[in-house]
Amino acid sequence: MTATAERQATTIFKRPSSTTGWVSWLTTVDHKKIGILYGYAAFFFFLIGGIEALLLRVQLAQANSEFLTAGAYNALFTMHGTTMVFLFIMPASAAFMNYLIPLMIGARDVAFPRLNALSWWIFFFGAIFLYSTFFFGTSLAPIGAEGVPGNLAPGGGPGSFNWLADSPDGGWFGYQPNAGPLYSPGTAMDYWALGLQIIGLASLISSINFIVTVLNMRAKGMRLLRMPVFVWMSTVVAFLLLFSLPIIAVALFMVTFDRQFGSLFFAASAGGDPILWQHLFWLFGHPEVYILILPAMGIVSEVLPVFSKKPLFGYSAVVFAGAAIAFLGFGVWAHHMFASGITPVAQAAFGLATMTIAIPTGIKIFNWLGTMWGGRIRFTPPMLFAIGFVAMFTIGGLSGVTHAVVPSDWQQTDTYYIVAHFHYVLFGGAVFGLFAGLYYWFPKLTGKVMNPRLGKTHFWMQFVGFNLTFAPMHWLGLQGMVRRTWKYAPEFGLEPWNVVVTIGAFVIALSILVFIYNWYHSRRHGEDSGLDPWDARTLEWSIPSPTPEYNFATPPVVTRLDHFWHMKYDEDAEGRAVRRDDADEVIARLEHDGNNPTEAIHLPNPSYFPLLLALGFPIIFYGIIYHTSAFGKALILIGAVISLSAAIGWGIEPLEEPHDEHVDEDERDKAVDKELVDE
Amino acid sequence: MSSEHHAHPTPRQYWMIAVILAVLTAIEVGMFYLDRALSLGALNAVILISLALLKFVIVVGWYMHLRFEKGTLNKFFTAGFILAGALYLVVLSALGVVAIRGG
Amino acid sequence: MSDVIHEAPAHHNEHEGVGVSHTKLGMWVFLSSEFLFFGALITNYLLYSNRGGFPGPYPAEIYDIPFTSVSSFVLLMSSLTMVLAHNALSRNDQNGTRTWLFATAALGSVFLGGQVFEFTEFIVEFDMKLSTNPAASAFYLLTGFHGTHVAIGVIMLLSLWGISRRQGSLSEKQGLNLELVGLYWHFVDIIWIVIFTVVYLLSLPPT
Repeated sequence: MTATAERQATTIFKRPSSTTGWVSWLTTVDHKKIGILYGYAAFFFFLIGGIEALLLRVQLAQANSEFLTAGAYNALFTMHGTTMVFLFIMPASAAFMNYLIPLMIGARDVAFPRLNALSWWIFFFGAIFLYSTFFFGTSLAPIGAEGVPGNLAPGGGPGSFNWLADSPDGGWFGYQPNAGPLYSPGTAMDYWALGLQIIGLASLISSINFIVTVLNMRAKGMRLLRMPVFVWMSTVVAFLLLFSLPIIAVALFMVTFDRQFGSLFFAASAGGDPILWQHLFWLFGHPEVYILILPAMGIVSEVLPVFSKKPLFGYSAVVFAGAAIAFLGFGVWAHHMFASGITPVAQAAFGLATMTIAIPTGIKIFNWLGTMWGGRIRFTPPMLFAIGFVAMFTIGGLSGVTHAVVPSDWQQTDTYYIVAHFHYVLFGGAVFGLFAGLYYWFPKLTGKVMNPRLGKTHFWMQFVGFNLTFAPMHWLGLQGMVRRTWKYAPEFGLEPWNVVVTIGAFVIALSILVFIYNWYHSRRHGEDSGLDPWDARTLEWSIPSPTPEYNFATPPVVTRLDHFWHMKYDEDAEGRAVRRDDADEVIARLEHDGNNPTEAIHLPNPSYFPLLLALGFPIIFYGIIYHTSAFGKALILIGAVISLSAAIGWGIEPLEEPHDEHVDEDERDKAVDKELVDE
Repeated sequence: MSSEHHAHPTPRQYWMIAVILAVLTAIEVGMFYLDRALSLGALNAVILISLALLKFVIVVGWYMHLRFEKGTLNKFFTAGFILAGALYLVVLSALGVVAIRGG
Repeated sequence: MSDVIHEAPAHHNEHEGVGVSHTKLGMWVFLSSEFLFFGALITNYLLYSNRGGFPGPYPAEIYDIPFTSVSSFVLLMSSLTMVLAHNALSRNDQNGTRTWLFATAALGSVFLGGQVFEFTEFIVEFDMKLSTNPAASAFYLLTGFHGTHVAIGVIMLLSLWGISRRQGSLSEKQGLNLELVGLYWHFVDIIWIVIFTVVYLLSLPPT
């Protein structure tokens, strides 16, 4: 140990070659790489979910359209919702959290790097499992359930075999008994229930990981109320996940048991209570709404101050409002059930509770406006998306308050008014926020800035397309157009606005193509960003871009909120920010020091075990679906063996290989060379 | 390994606690038969739930050492417990259920 | 379980923190979420346990209270042996640790055996299956998931016991693991305390 200590002082220990190349992506435990993996996976599913939405819109552009069968339509809206919620926004938020939380709190990684990799792989396999329903799922009588009548036709609707229709079709909310064994025979809904179970497990593990990371790994001086708002919102989200996922886990187990093993939880004719499903689902589902929106609120709270050149207005109010939204968010679930037959007292109580959420939300909106007020605003692409977020989210929030009024909600339930509302908060809100974050932190990933002209084109196309798509849905809904229904009659007069909506959807799709082009183009040809392209405030910009593997060459010490900003700016007599004369020197020094650690930095070694351990889960779950056959039983056994062996291997393998005994000669020479060059 | 806590109970005290827990369990089972004989109704429910909570607190406080830990842990744990209790009570009452003996 | 960023003084990266190790904090946070898990299962049982008018038998009609009281007592005492194992380790009494670990696993197994016996009796003798009525479904789901938790605990205890036997002692890191397993084990016990009272002693069959 003593001999090594000396060596540590003179060489830079670099981990073996497995940190590059494709194998490194399979074995990585680096929070940044895991974040990038989450990001690409999420974007992939954003495209898939988007294509599903476009198919729906083509169907609805015409009255009495025959473009899709009823079964295919049901399948597509189910998978569109499930995909966008669980496979796009949640992993996209996880991508930002993974990449940014350690950087923003001045840490080298998360608290449990291998568990972090495990979360990612469980999510990945869960997503594949869920989507494999398109290949393996059926809408025929499930194997194993006795006495279940066969289906009307494949896909549950008119028409012949249709592979689109052989996927889950019970809605992303999986209401019972419709999604139960009697009315949704076949294996498709099993893929849905078990797939969400796997994905939920991934989120539960990462929520524990983030909570411990934030509580225990903040840089010296980074008190809780000095953390960036994004970290705060991520922490709040982690707690929401922690407490809401177990509920949906139980509910999904109940569905699986009903479908596979003949239990009677939701079988109304045998004494089961379908309303219990609604309670359990929305006990999870409403916090889930805030799980989707709070990370975007965090991103926007980072972007607005930077491009207004002002500190966030009312930092602590924004933080506490975020926590209050989360807390209240647990007490309003039954407002999804006003039309489901709950008592008048419950309706009044949940209606009032729902209205109170408008208070902390309003606080946030005024804080964001206050941040921009009187600021020197730069309309860069991230800023445009952030402003778009505030505007669109406000509209969505206001239409949300109208649902809190129970009689009004009865009119709106299951109409396109609801669809308009939640797309304004989830697309106008969450998606705009996520894009703001992508443009803002792209330099952190690549060391380049995304082309601003293309970025602005993207913004305006998306903004116009979004409003063309979702604004008319308000009045379509008020005219009585119902959700989740594949056709409408021409005499309803709904067609003109539906054409507009469909055109809007395709404008959004085009805007996304612009974004994709910009992303790939800018990665190669973008302008070099340097260390601090936006004149930013938070710690992640005080280190070189792209982020070095070890994040911080020396662990930072923080003395106040927006520490990095105060390294560059002083206040003049009137309290205005004045750039310090030595600001450029400070940045140059940070750039140099960040690239040249003065001491050995040990990082956790890559590992195959998270991947292997996660691999067992989908295999076991396939086995559960086909458990009555020998094939299914064999799958359960194989999956269990894989996961258990991986768990044992994990237990034996240390997080960091003992780096003291031997250092690869080449590596050491390279390290020494590097040092000489830098001298 | 356990530098953050201090003054843990001794084995002797652990045994004493076990005796208390055993006695409480015996009282619980006794209450069950007493209620069968006398139909105590709500009183039985109140007593049994109080006894269970007492056992719960003893195990958490002494065997899990929560009494001797940092307050943060206590806050999280209590938050989870209270949240679960509150949410599910509302669900049960919304579904019109009080399904326990004497309730 | 050793999944912690190394915090050697040589790195002099002091952190702000809550003064509890990562793993222990993580375990407590995880356990707090388990309340919501078991809470949903208990709610489920309470909702259905006395909803009458459907084919019986109902769980509350066929409970064997003396038998369950004994197995509850066994699980309760396994918390004692668990904490004694932890205590022995803190005094570096490796033999004592091993003995108490084994005793805990054994008591846990006895509890599980009791549950297997109970389920078998309910199914074979009383013909109460998972698919008999929602109350039965809820009973099996709740106690089954609790039993699964106990089984996982027994596996972890036996692994620690095996390691201790092979090496002759537990390292400091494995000692921390023992503490975590202990927390998990006690938690499973307190959940059973609630189940025993609410599901067994207070449960009424439909009238």
